[in-house]
Amino acid sequence: MKLTDAARVIRSKNAGPLTLTIDLMFADAGTYERALAAPSLSPRNLATLYNQPVESIHVIPYPAAFAIKLVLDRKIVAGSPGDTDVYGAQQHGPLLEVEI
Amino acid sequence: MTDIGALLDRIGGLGARRRPLRALAASGQLGYGIPEKAFRAGLEQRPDFIGCDMGSVDPGPYYLGSGKMATSPAVTRRDLHMVLTGARRLGVPLILGSAGTAGAFPHLEAALDIIRAIAREEGLHFRLAIIRADISSEVVKKALRENRLRPLGKIPDITEANIDACTHIVGQMGTEAFVRALKTGADVIIAGRSCDTAVFAAIPQLLDYPMGLVMHMAKIIECTSICCTPGGRDAILGLLDDDGFVLDSMNPARHATPMSVAAHSLYEQADPFSVTEPEGTLWVDNARYEVLDEHRTRVSGARWQPATRLTVKIEGSGREGERAVLLAGSCDPGFIADIRTILKDVEEVVRSIYPGDYRLYIRLYGLDGVTHWASPPTVPPREIFILVESIAPTAEQAGTAVGVFKQYLLHHGFPGRFSTGGNIAFPFTPPELEAGTAYCFRIYHVMDAEDLASLFPIEVEVV
Repeated sequence: MKLTDAARVIRSKNAGPLTLTIDLMFADAGTYERALAAPSLSPRNLATLYNQPVESIHVIPYPAAFAIKLVLDRKIVAGSPGDTDVYGAQQHGPLLEVEI
Repeated sequence: MTDIGALLDRIGGLGARRRPLRALAASGQLGYGIPEKAFRAGLEQRPDFIGCDMGSVDPGPYYLGSGKMATSPAVTRRDLHMVLTGARRLGVPLILGSAGTAGAFPHLEAALDIIRAIAREEGLHFRLAIIRADISSEVVKKALRENRLRPLGKIPDITEANIDACTHIVGQMGTEAFVRALKTGADVIIAGRSCDTAVFAAIPQLLDYPMGLVMHMAKIIECTSICCTPGGRDAILGLLDDDGFVLDSMNPARHATPMSVAAHSLYEQADPFSVTEPEGTLWVDNARYEVLDEHRTRVSGARWQPATRLTVKIEGSGREGERAVLLAGSCDPGFIADIRTILKDVEEVVRSIYPGDYRLYIRLYGLDGVTHWASPPTVPPREIFILVESIAPTAEQAGTAVGVFKQYLLHHGFPGRFSTGGNIAFPFTPPELEAGTAYCFRIYHVMDAEDLASLFPIEVEVV
């Protein structure tokens, strides 16, 4: 199934100017578990999706809110020349096409 | 004058039999317009203190670098008027953190000017404690030489030259500075760059509530009602006792539910289980969230681990150059299909006509102006928007580069071109704009500190 059909929230935001954090939030334990097990959301796949080295990607399960947190280095320090998203609020885009 | 002893008496002293402390979080970003109805409802709850956060690193390096506020003077004044008159009428402390967006000297001064003007007009009198957050470049260079700086992520290496290039450097103060300010008997505290939590944690810490609960509540209410469903910017009341705290949004339509509050730990945090503060680490991995009724949630279980070594996060921003931009669009399929080659060719021509020390950054909206995509779109976009950013040592150089770029992009010939009248559409004239000075963060590091008090000096003023 598509991630967009499974998730309640797919959002991105800076956690400081050097780090991007993406939250995937699900309505229930079933969809949360399914997403957590999905190969498409493995660090390796996310590295390709976000054009980042795999070691800069962290996947953190947060069962208390049926959520998965992804943490990535920002490619450009927020607001430096050439940045495309100062707040990091539109970096969820590539995930909207993902299947889980 | 705020007397901590009196505050203790009001809540019933120390220990489990005292009544809950009532903390009103009025704003997580003062200056953008505090929702008035919820704030007034909060005042009716007779809070023991009012806290507001005024700043953030989120809006980027411009504000710290330039010394300007991100919020408008008119709305900042409106919000400060609301909280200052509200707190003085109740006779409770008002604590303001990260003054004027970035919390450096000019930001704090701008906020102070507004506060003094409001006090004069309204005939308010109070003891005002001002806490500075500016860190001198010498202190940072000494820390660099002594290997006491660690980057908080991927950032170009810090050098003495990079430190000197910063126009402002601030440290993010924790509760230590606010507790010190409260002990001066201040009614109103305004601080430079601060931890959002410290604004709300200092008073309960001074009253000896359990630090895990204190910090966890502070971490949640600093964003006001964002922890609710639906989330929003309305004031929230935190009621803290010795075993837990209750979250009560002052907008009856925003409900703090166990799920919405638990989920808030994810918000703008790289680590949902712990939060590092100058004086220690908050652990929320064992936190419990219980429904109290359909509007309120009770939270307990967070732990506080005092730091073995004091640390301060420091932020520095400096001038990168002058910025000019060109705005243009196209709906031509041939031009859009060939756009990358066209831009490369045009830049080559521009550099041959006008060589110099400028950098060009081009975003193509419709293609990948917002984010990186692993593959191109299956259907090409009908239109694209082209934003050319030019950074140069002077505004004239930056503007000249985009001006020449504009003309050669407009008339560039490419194979299969139909539209020989011009390749791009301008929304207005001139389509090339001066965008002022460009700044960038050069310091976003954690610094080991021996003594916090000397970094964050306090002045007391009788208004």
